[in-house]
Amino acid sequence: MSADGIDAGLEREVAALINREAMLLDRRRWNEWLDLYAEDAVYWAPAWASEEETTTDPETQLNLIYLKNRGRLEDRVFRIESRQSWASLPLDRTVHVIGNVLVESAEGDAIEATANCIVHVYGKKGAATRGSRYDFAFRRIDGALRIARKKITFIDDRLEGPVDIYHL
Amino acid sequence: MSSTAQSRSFRDLVDDRVDEGVFRVDRAVYTDEAVFEAEIERIFEGGWVFLCHESQVEKPGDYWATEIGRQPVYVMRQTDGSLGCYINSCSHRGAVLTPLKQGNVNVLTCRFHGWVYDRGGRCISIKNEELGYAAEERAGGRFDLRRIGALDSYKGFVFGSLRSDVPALRDHLAAAARWIDLLADQARDGLEVVPGCSTYVVHGNWKLQSENSVDGYHVTTLHSVFAATTAQREARDATGGMGRTESGRIRGKVPSGTYDLGNGHMGLWAQHITPHVRPIYEARAWLEDNLKPAEVDWILNRGRNLHVFPNVMLMDNPSTQIRLVKPISPALTEVSVYCIAPRGESPAARAARLRKFEDFYLTAGMATSDDAAALEAVQNGSTGPPSQWNDMTRGLDALVTGPDQGARDLGFEPVASCPDWEHEGMFLGFYRAWLDRLENGTGVA
Repeated sequence: MSADGIDAGLEREVAALINREAMLLDRRRWNEWLDLYAEDAVYWAPAWASEEETTTDPETQLNLIYLKNRGRLEDRVFRIESRQSWASLPLDRTVHVIGNVLVESAEGDAIEATANCIVHVYGKKGAATRGSRYDFAFRRIDGALRIARKKITFIDDRLEGPVDIYHL
Repeated sequence: MSSTAQSRSFRDLVDDRVDEGVFRVDRAVYTDEAVFEAEIERIFEGGWVFLCHESQVEKPGDYWATEIGRQPVYVMRQTDGSLGCYINSCSHRGAVLTPLKQGNVNVLTCRFHGWVYDRGGRCISIKNEELGYAAEERAGGRFDLRRIGALDSYKGFVFGSLRSDVPALRDHLAAAARWIDLLADQARDGLEVVPGCSTYVVHGNWKLQSENSVDGYHVTTLHSVFAATTAQREARDATGGMGRTESGRIRGKVPSGTYDLGNGHMGLWAQHITPHVRPIYEARAWLEDNLKPAEVDWILNRGRNLHVFPNVMLMDNPSTQIRLVKPISPALTEVSVYCIAPRGESPAARAARLRKFEDFYLTAGMATSDDAAALEAVQNGSTGPPSQWNDMTRGLDALVTGPDQGARDLGFEPVASCPDWEHEGMFLGFYRAWLDRLENGTGVA
């Protein structure tokens, strides 16, 4: 156990899962990436409501992306793999670097964690570096930790180029 | 001017010989620095531009900071409920006064040297004034903020002009006003801008945004992947009701058209094949009881994109959008998008409207991102002198001067009507108005 009562083995397991997701996105191993998500997973990147606050209620406010089950993530992969999306051909190259992983709570099989991510993007218009804060919820399904919720606070505004699942 | 347009006048950039079947625009209009400078001065700083929606400055003291061309300005709801718009620059050293994009204040205090302005732009306090200025210099009004030249609102949509010698807003809007009615009048309790905004930068000229907003010709190619993606999603999820997307409308052929609405404004419409999946459909009974049949038909059954020259698009298609366009340089444009919606619509309709918006419109969405990539490709392909001309004659033979039946039914007077959204006749009006503004230098129609 660590000082905050979180099992060190669980912390390693959570960090490994977040790192694995980043690796799979960068290497475009979409199906393995999708497998990390629970069927009813929520994938949410709020929009900025002002300079200081993001939107907080997806039912009444605008978001960059708000997808309410894994199928909606499959749609994104479908579009990328179709080679028919102009924004996705050529696909931007990405490198995700994960840091500051913290398990915030662990109640039985329900685990919450935060992390930061810097994504270096290289595409048609050159290079950009973007930052995100992650709020994850995980659930243990048949023994394996799966992503039940990924909230991405994408700190960049005035976006250059597309923003898709591999940028976040 | 760059070498491409060096020896030519603005008129040479628009080859307007419609009688001979020719209408083409020199691609230098997207790339030329001198053209861009003239556009900023004579179009954006020389006439009416869209500023904001009244719901964004609802209560006394609410301000909204934006720009007219290069000039920062802010709109302020006055204590008496009226609107004011001021040069957003301290009279002392020029600092922008508003701390945030949007807020509510009793006074604006310059954070540099502490000068204070009331809601009406009057300079009411100068720090240590008596120590720095002789008594006779302290005459009232000398340091008040300047109001912009003209400010007016049409059905909640606020427009401003730096110059005062402009036509009345209603005259500037011409036939576009009737299209604004269609958006405003569908909301029993008025419209509101929904919290949350996305701003993105497109590496393409601002006029590509104008063209794209009413170009139906690209839909079946560029957005076929959006239609395919949503079609497989809806088959998989057995999606019903307002969750459905009209992918068949994107892939297929439906009744459609475009209009030259005068003064550079353009409109595009296409028939909804399943209007009941639209969030507004829940208001059908109220619409039928309160509006004319042609208005109800246009609201419920015709998806519409309106471009109000030069800087805003009002979309009522899969969702409802204000798209604000800000030119940065010939090849760089900043776009900010807002969802606008009827106040008091049901929670289910509001959520569906937002999901449709996020699906399609954002740079994080699955269609607008492809539009942005296409416009950037046009910009990139327009840089070489050997590929000089954009032909815009598609559908010219079918172009109707004045109103068609749909316009007569609703009651508006377009300059010209195109019977198919794949036709390009509305661009004639856009580029003629554009040229007129560049040549005549003001917003005077």
